[in-house]
Amino acid sequence: MSAWSASSWRNRALTSRRITGRSSAAAAALAVCLAVLCAFPAARTSAKQGKEATQPVTCGTCHVGVVNSYAHAPMRHAMEPVATNPTLLAHPNLTVQQNGYSYTVQTSNGKSIYTVSDASGNLSLPIHWVFGQHSQTFVLEKDGKLYESLVSYYPREQALATTPGDQELKPKNLTEAMGRELSQWESLMCFDCHASGATRGTHLTLDKLTMGLECERCHQGAQQHMADAADDNFKTIPKPLKRMSSGDVLNFCGQCHRSWETVVRNHWKGPAYVRFQPYRLQNSRCFAADDPRISCLACHDPHQPVNHDQAFYDKKCLACHAQTKAAGPAAAPSNAKTCPVAKAKCSTCHMPRVELPGGHAQFTDHQIRVVHPGDPYPN
Amino acid sequence: MSLSRFKKRCRGAKRFRRAAAGYALLVALSCCAHPDAAAQQAPGFDDLAAQAAAARDRQNIPAAIDLYAKAVQARPDWTEGWWYLTLLQYSTNQYPGAIDAANHMLQIVPHAVPAMALRGLSEFEIADYKSSLRDLEMAVQHGAASDPHNEQIVRLHLALDLTRADRFQDALEQYRALAEKQINTPEILIGIGLAGMRSTSFPSEIRPEDRDLYVGAGAAGFAFLAGESNQADTLFEQMFTKYPSAPNLHLFYGLLLYSHDPELAVDQFQQEVAVVPANEAARALLAFCLVISGKFKEALPEAQKAYAAAPDMLLAQLALGRSLGETGDIEHGTELLKKVLAQDSDNLEAHMGLAALYARAGKREDAYRERMVCLKLAK
Repeated sequence: MSAWSASSWRNRALTSRRITGRSSAAAAALAVCLAVLCAFPAARTSAKQGKEATQPVTCGTCHVGVVNSYAHAPMRHAMEPVATNPTLLAHPNLTVQQNGYSYTVQTSNGKSIYTVSDASGNLSLPIHWVFGQHSQTFVLEKDGKLYESLVSYYPREQALATTPGDQELKPKNLTEAMGRELSQWESLMCFDCHASGATRGTHLTLDKLTMGLECERCHQGAQQHMADAADDNFKTIPKPLKRMSSGDVLNFCGQCHRSWETVVRNHWKGPAYVRFQPYRLQNSRCFAADDPRISCLACHDPHQPVNHDQAFYDKKCLACHAQTKAAGPAAAPSNAKTCPVAKAKCSTCHMPRVELPGGHAQFTDHQIRVVHPGDPYPN
Repeated sequence: MSLSRFKKRCRGAKRFRRAAAGYALLVALSCCAHPDAAAQQAPGFDDLAAQAAAARDRQNIPAAIDLYAKAVQARPDWTEGWWYLTLLQYSTNQYPGAIDAANHMLQIVPHAVPAMALRGLSEFEIADYKSSLRDLEMAVQHGAASDPHNEQIVRLHLALDLTRADRFQDALEQYRALAEKQINTPEILIGIGLAGMRSTSFPSEIRPEDRDLYVGAGAAGFAFLAGESNQADTLFEQMFTKYPSAPNLHLFYGLLLYSHDPELAVDQFQQEVAVVPANEAARALLAFCLVISGKFKEALPEAQKAYAAAPDMLLAQLALGRSLGETGDIEHGTELLKKVLAQDSDNLEAHMGLAALYARAGKREDAYRERMVCLKLAK
């Protein structure tokens, strides 16, 4: 990322606006700038520090509020740095016995070592990449190849256990017991959704990787926008994602969380795929691509931590299923029924939490429905 | 036929011979049970069987064939006899005789996979490629390629038949199975090059001046199919530099990339239509990849061109229907997708497109119905 002086950027923006001849525009621009400066104390501080302060311009220079909240959002922590990984720091000596092999993950001095051993010896590798914020899987490098660790950390048990999807593997040697070799394509997909700058076309660029998802991952063009904004050009603001239709939002988030079309096109089926929320949500009878009340963004702000309070989501459901149609301009569909059983904690019944096979966690099934006992699951 | 090829053929035949060890044992046992049979003046079936086996063991193939032929005349339901007649005649390039013997064997044991495979290989040699394709495809479906000794010869000839039949992607799947096991011969490389570049020729039919092109494309394709995508990328780039105007070279790489990431394939299809603007298949693929990447505005002009050039091509109809609908002309988009379904009622992409367009139009029930159809089709 190129570095500019935040204060000089601000000064230039102000200066260039002052020298334009149209006073009304200048006044408006000045008002905007003042509003921006007032709204974002950090940016104002930078500007106040004057010419000698040379802080790099980042998204947070202007969008400090959202950047600060995003620092705690799950996507920002899709990959955790080893040295500051709270999970590994809290559990510096993890061990488990699996399939005749002994596994340890030992953490000290900001480094974590993954070791697998059996009667024939042991194999130790440093952990460079930790995928996930809560449940964590390690990607290991050996002889130029990448491997997904055969055991992962699960917060529910606070212990290591087999990585989801690897239950059927029967390792025949230490390398196989250490991890499952990742194909180039798996590696590209994994790193592309858990890190930033890790891929370029068909190539992994792990030397340029930043852990977790940075703004640019979703807001394509953010870098250009910063460069242009430094020159007082605000014509290249990234496409505002808020204006996307619900269908487009699901497909957008589905790039990583898997869209309905991706799951169907790949003929993926079974309980393991219930974790793909856009796919499940779009399976819902009430889904409509043009209705903003049913989209990822209707319930979740990707810049915020996930809200685990079931009651928080009730008003989202009631936006359609309320007894009155006071939900706004997009009127409730005529067949949006009200629940005869309860008016609160809708999602506990209609989006039940399910146990993923081998996932050591419960997951909210995002397919909204009336759940009947004995219904085939997943459909 | 060259000596080396003949030897290779015989090696292949020996492999089948191993598979028939059980049959040979039966023959040997029957011989032991009648030690004085050979002393009779008019040899009976048991004598003939024993003499045939003995001749085969002495590598006196002409005598063995003659004796087996007499033995099956004496006992037409003797499957071992028909099997050795098939095998020995195939080994000595007597393909019509091998086919006839295999026909008899398959009448008695319709699922005798080795006989089916040998008949397919023999049919290939007499240029009956349609029958060869039918037999080899059936044989592979029933496990003929699961024996590592037979896999190369069976898959290679099946791939050549598939290429001849214009089924290039299916041919590449056979080559993929070989590449994943690092089974690499010049003929396989050229075969991959031919299938990848959409030529129905056999390796023996290409002009000497085209050989390097197909070998180079095949080597790049082999690397990709073997999972070495970085190496493949380098090799393809070298080929693009060396053969900037070769038709179907970018199409080949694009189709390989498509199965992993349609967005990466887009660039290759764009380059293909830049090299050969009249390449309708490449343009339809370009439009379709843009559609499934969600880039409907970019897809529309390409889809229009593809449809104008080839209105009967399903892929062009799909791409145009979906891109029209997603960019606002839902009526005509729906019409085109229904046209696809009129030709192929189970076309998953058409149903997915309709689901998306109905959802976009706010037709929730229609969209839901189409989504459920897709889920059923995907199962």
